[in-house]
Amino acid sequence: MCDIIWCKKEVDGKVCNTVNYLDPYCFWNWEGKVNCAECGAVYYIHMIQGHMYKGPEERPGEKPDTSPLYADKPLDGYTNYSPGVEGRTRPFQCLPRDIYLGVPDMVKFSVRGRPVRGWRPQPPSAGIAGSMPYSWDLKNGSPEVWEEYQKRLNSGEVKDW
Amino acid sequence: MAKDLRVTRIEDLPGPKSKEELEEMKMPYEEYCRQQFDVGNEFSKPQALDGIRWLSTTMYIFTPHSVANIAEMGAEVIKIEMPRMGDPMRHTSPFNECYLYPLHDSRPMTGAGMGFLGANDSEYYITMDYHLDEMKEAFYRMVKMSDGLTECYRPGTFDRWKQSYRYVQELNPRFIYVWGGGFGYGPKCFGGSYDILGQSHAGLGSVTGFHETFGGHCAKHSNWCIDWYSGTQITFGMLAALHWRRKTGLGTMIEFSQVQAATRCLGYAAPLYGRFGIVRQRWGNWDTQLCAHGIILCGKSDFPDAKNPQDKYDARYAMVSAFQDEDFKELCAVTGNQQLYDKYKATKDRVEGEAQVEIYAALEKWAEDKSRSEVVKILQDAGLLAEPVMNDREVYESEHFRQRGSIRWIDDPTYGDVLVQSAYSSGLMAKTPRRQTWIWRTVGADNVKIYHEMLGYPMSKVEEWYEKAWI
Repeated sequence: MCDIIWCKKEVDGKVCNTVNYLDPYCFWNWEGKVNCAECGAVYYIHMIQGHMYKGPEERPGEKPDTSPLYADKPLDGYTNYSPGVEGRTRPFQCLPRDIYLGVPDMVKFSVRGRPVRGWRPQPPSAGIAGSMPYSWDLKNGSPEVWEEYQKRLNSGEVKDW
Repeated sequence: MAKDLRVTRIEDLPGPKSKEELEEMKMPYEEYCRQQFDVGNEFSKPQALDGIRWLSTTMYIFTPHSVANIAEMGAEVIKIEMPRMGDPMRHTSPFNECYLYPLHDSRPMTGAGMGFLGANDSEYYITMDYHLDEMKEAFYRMVKMSDGLTECYRPGTFDRWKQSYRYVQELNPRFIYVWGGGFGYGPKCFGGSYDILGQSHAGLGSVTGFHETFGGHCAKHSNWCIDWYSGTQITFGMLAALHWRRKTGLGTMIEFSQVQAATRCLGYAAPLYGRFGIVRQRWGNWDTQLCAHGIILCGKSDFPDAKNPQDKYDARYAMVSAFQDEDFKELCAVTGNQQLYDKYKATKDRVEGEAQVEIYAALEKWAEDKSRSEVVKILQDAGLLAEPVMNDREVYESEHFRQRGSIRWIDDPTYGDVLVQSAYSSGLMAKTPRRQTWIWRTVGADNVKIYHEMLGYPMSKVEEWYEKAWI
């Protein structure tokens, strides 16, 4: 349900031809002005239930209420403005955060600073699955984690909660 | 006069000497509850379902959760997974990064994802390709030694593999057989199910979320709520079947369709339609029968400087409840909306759609320049019911949950320090509390324990099956 504003404004004798993508949720029932990410032309739109009821109408000289979420130029080999480019597109709150890596995260300690197990690769001393069924000897199984744990204990980084 | 040792005198006994003294000596109720439930010492108490052995050929959350419930209460649950692969739920993980390794001893670089958490704890994990003829004997022997089985295959699959209730009851008439799946027998018997399908097909999705008038859509309850919920409903069926077996000595078959279970949550929807022809609509964070009784958006976040957007932007919602006339009057007074009380003095006026639109809009307008905690404090100080909508970090930090042990750290034998809620968030039992032994175990971790130690197969046989990937 994402609607767009295809900017056809002529800038320096050339058509802007930028596709400005409007984020569906903010624009579900919305009336206001949006800028073109490329040329900055301001368009008025009125959307009702996700349908473009009025507009886009150009409103030269007026200030936009918000910016598109994303914009690209399909006729120019899809150059684009990703979300959150100052003055062109607005930030998207649900951007993947830096703490989300997209690859398995091999933490050795929990948020309260105590050792966890189950990272990869497991050291050969960890044995095969099931060979250490009900207990895990951190000191002998993963001595480097044990050492770091001792350091953390001494520096008071290990908490109860 | 010397004391007659044959006579027991009440004044010589410890304890209260009169009714008044008894009342005086009673500890405060709060303390009594703490002593009874003794959170943190669950493992020193007996387990209600000790002695029950249950087989679990289940996948994902819905059916696994039904047996995790009894495992937490002491049943010996043997989860049977496909060799070297395990439950498909092991291969899901939020953001593709939360894996615990290894999956299986032949696959050290593959992990089991944290999506597997909560629905599979405290069970024994074995592997078996049970549809092979060669493994039938071991399967049947486990049936003979167990009280029940929960499976989640499509209707008739286990029958085709000669291990449905029709077959297993001949081996063990006391056997309780549970099928849990999508649609069950009927016109859609080949349809599988997921939580979202259950919610949609059962009609629940249509009454969840805000109405389109307010820019909303039908919504699914998040986090596979109907998987958890219908899994728990199966557990009730299992416990009732165990009770029935005590009386009759006979097992039974339970057929549990997920899309059917979710209709239970629809409340008055079906009777309403039946009597008046009204199709129930969505009402979002408000309530059709009470007002004000909903969630409002506040203007400012409680954590404007937080790095995590979930704190920075989302800590802005507050639950408000003031539906009785007196409370609503106070709510209007404290939020400077006296005109609303004058207009909507009675409940029947307030619950009207137009009234709710006006009331909640006015409340949000009032909260526009306030943070969530300011809103909650003002309302609580006025004697009204209000609570912030907390995220999981706040739940973790909540003293209430810590004191009750609802969320806690466990030292998992395989995975070390793990923060869990599962077993401990399911209510407190004074004599036989739930407990979590471990979050899960690696694929086939208990093969030797079950095949060799319990069923008595020689190790050479276990190794042979392992080499052939039959287990």
